[in-house]
Amino acid sequence: MAGTPTETQATRMLVVATLLCSYPGIDATGQAHMEYPPNTYVIPTPDPVMFPESFYLHCFEKGIDGILIASCGTDSPYEGSYEQLAARIPKVYAQMKARGISIRRLKLTAICSVCTKAFLKEVSDMEAVMAELGPVSGEMTAVTA
Amino acid sequence: MAERRSKPKNQAATTAAAPATPPEVVLPVLAEKVGVYICHCGGNISDVVDVDKVATEAAGLDGVAVARHIMFMCSDEGQKAIVDDIQALGLDRVVVAACTPKLHEATFRRVLQRGGMNPYLFLPANIREQASWAHPHSPKAATEKASALVRAAVAKAQMLEPLEKVRVAAVHRALVIGGGVAGLRAALDLARQGLGVTLVEKSPFLGGRTTQLHTVFPTEDPARLLVHRLIAEVKAQPNLTILTETEVVALTGYVGDFTVTLKTTPRGVNAELADRQAAIAACPISVANEFDDGISKRRAIYQPYPGSEPDLPAIDWASCTRCGDCVTAAGGRGIDLKSDPIETTIETGAIVVATGFDHYEPRVGEYGYATSPRILTLPQVHRMLDPEGPTGGRLEIDGRVPRSIAMIHCVGSRQIEDVDEPGPDGKLHEYCSRVCCTATLQAANQIRQKYPKTAVYDLYRDIRTYGRDQEPYYVDASKAGVVFMRFANDARPTVELSDGADFPLKVTVTDTLTFGTEIEVPVDLVILSVGVMPRDVTGLIEMTHAPVGADGFLLEVHPKLRPVESAIPGLLLAGTVQAPMDVTESTSAASAAAAKVTALLAGDHVEMEPFVAKVDPSLCDGCGLCLDACRYAGAIAMQEVEIEEGVLEKRAYVNPVACKGCGACVPSCPVSALDVAGWEIDQYKAMIDAITAEPLTAGARS
Repeated sequence: MAGTPTETQATRMLVVATLLCSYPGIDATGQAHMEYPPNTYVIPTPDPVMFPESFYLHCFEKGIDGILIASCGTDSPYEGSYEQLAARIPKVYAQMKARGISIRRLKLTAICSVCTKAFLKEVSDMEAVMAELGPVSGEMTAVTA
Repeated sequence: MAERRSKPKNQAATTAAAPATPPEVVLPVLAEKVGVYICHCGGNISDVVDVDKVATEAAGLDGVAVARHIMFMCSDEGQKAIVDDIQALGLDRVVVAACTPKLHEATFRRVLQRGGMNPYLFLPANIREQASWAHPHSPKAATEKASALVRAAVAKAQMLEPLEKVRVAAVHRALVIGGGVAGLRAALDLARQGLGVTLVEKSPFLGGRTTQLHTVFPTEDPARLLVHRLIAEVKAQPNLTILTETEVVALTGYVGDFTVTLKTTPRGVNAELADRQAAIAACPISVANEFDDGISKRRAIYQPYPGSEPDLPAIDWASCTRCGDCVTAAGGRGIDLKSDPIETTIETGAIVVATGFDHYEPRVGEYGYATSPRILTLPQVHRMLDPEGPTGGRLEIDGRVPRSIAMIHCVGSRQIEDVDEPGPDGKLHEYCSRVCCTATLQAANQIRQKYPKTAVYDLYRDIRTYGRDQEPYYVDASKAGVVFMRFANDARPTVELSDGADFPLKVTVTDTLTFGTEIEVPVDLVILSVGVMPRDVTGLIEMTHAPVGADGFLLEVHPKLRPVESAIPGLLLAGTVQAPMDVTESTSAASAAAAKVTALLAGDHVEMEPFVAKVDPSLCDGCGLCLDACRYAGAIAMQEVEIEEGVLEKRAYVNPVACKGCGACVPSCPVSALDVAGWEIDQYKAMIDAITAEPLTAGARS
């Protein structure tokens, strides 16, 4: 099991998964009964390039404590989309910093349709980040205060 | 009725043909009669997830009219429940929480159609692969997660709008890539259905690997005769064009209307060549003959076998030095050493990929390979056993028939991490190549029949002659005195050179059939039954973006629900490009691909999924930033719109045929006027709101 959390503070992880690459890869993880923490929620998308910066901030504001963007990487079926997505992430980071949110809570990864172990590792790593940082609400509250 | 959460949406995607007048802004409302159905999946879900609790919680959500849990939602009973509820309760959206949508999304969309609903008002929630199977030891947490996923699906479903498929005028022509048995079969079936067909083959000759065999199992038909019958039928089709030495070098467009650029290399030889033998004999170049898997040599001007198709030699431009000796020998006629390729462009509605496979080539030293001429691969032995092959059908080493032969199975197949070393391509081939067991036994029987005094030892891990009429090969081999030995997964046989001994090779195997006895087998010849490898079609993959599996073969969408279809609409897979197959299976897959193309291009139009970008003209201010974000020519453009009487302003519009639905344009819009139909940002936000609406309990962490 990849990084089963033991701490008491409940956190949630969002995985933005591409229909052609990471979503089937995550399905394959389940099909193999390879376990990962159940506080991990997967939302499918044709391509995460579609999400504006404000979407990620919305997620954090609503209580998502860590986000994995499980893209297709350079294998994206959409021309140039990975490069466009990668270029957007620093802009998201800038807005996260402005709100006091650790940029470690958002990670751009590439997960293929059979990358079960890579998926588990990324989930495990983000679980560790969330365990270390605690709920995102704490960071945002601190800035507001 | 509750108002939608955020900005109003236009009622339909703006398209190239759509009227330019901005529609009146209407505030849509959330759907309020959602049907929610939780699947037990026969225990696959309900053994972990408390489906009754999930259904009960769903029933309490705003806008949910009914929530049920049923043993199998995909069964007739499950589907009927949805249709009945649609008709009895007037459902306006349907959520099914079950297995991955890749399995049954299409099934449930059809169910909605049967109930009289727009099929795109269905939404799946994946609570099997991503809940019960992923968290089998955390039932409370899995249940809580399943409830959250259902809440999210309901929230999005309430915001779904009816969609219509995008229709594209269809080009009634198909391109088949690959001229082996699968490509030939597909091309023939397509042409017989009246479609125009272009068949391209990269090599100078048609027929592929099957022409390298003498006979094919299980019918024992002469292989080349079989292929040439097929070729004759293909050539008889008036609407079919064959291009050898031709590759696809560029591909644009979409299902129904692809534009493909082909590069054809000249053959260098034409029908005016009178004395081909003299021309071939005059060539000073000698290279390994790939047709004989390297056990013979050929010239730079060559023909793999008499009567090949085309029945003309070709020039191997990579080896040819342009010395002109062949031209001289031919009397200056029939050979042209200009090798400049020609590019042509064709329009096609669909593409069948039948690019075939390669044999696994063992590493140097793998079972002694390449350390002795007495260690051969099965394809090499096939060529030797072919009466028209390089040895005239004689299996002889140094002029002598082997007295004793060891055949080793699973070389380059079913490889195991930490047991096997990666092959020359740096990869482990973990899959079963499927065809080698029968092929090995076929060769063993041929050897025993032809050389009764030759002992044959068959060393296998597992053995399975799996197809119809293939088991007799095993029975016959047993009756013919082939000696079987079985080795364990972690104890491969070893092959050693025995210099000076009576037999030049020694194979050592720990035989599990004799309870682990270590047996030394002295032999004259070792035959390695090598596996089937995916052919390197990197260029084609980059052009088409066709998904590739971990094994390197191209992936079909679903082996049962959408066989031979790649994830790229209009791109079909035929034969061993997809997986190891024998000739029978390859031609079956090819016929399946041809049938799907025929159905696809049967009408005047091809229908595509409606998940493309759309513009809200009431929000668009015509800034044009979306044009820069879009990478697809013609997918998004500006057009003048009459925003009020006599006042024209530019607004973005989307051509749904050219749009790929990636959404790259969406975040570029400073006024959020763009979205992808069915994947709207506000729908995602509603999902996030729903997921986080309930606090996680202690159960969610255990």
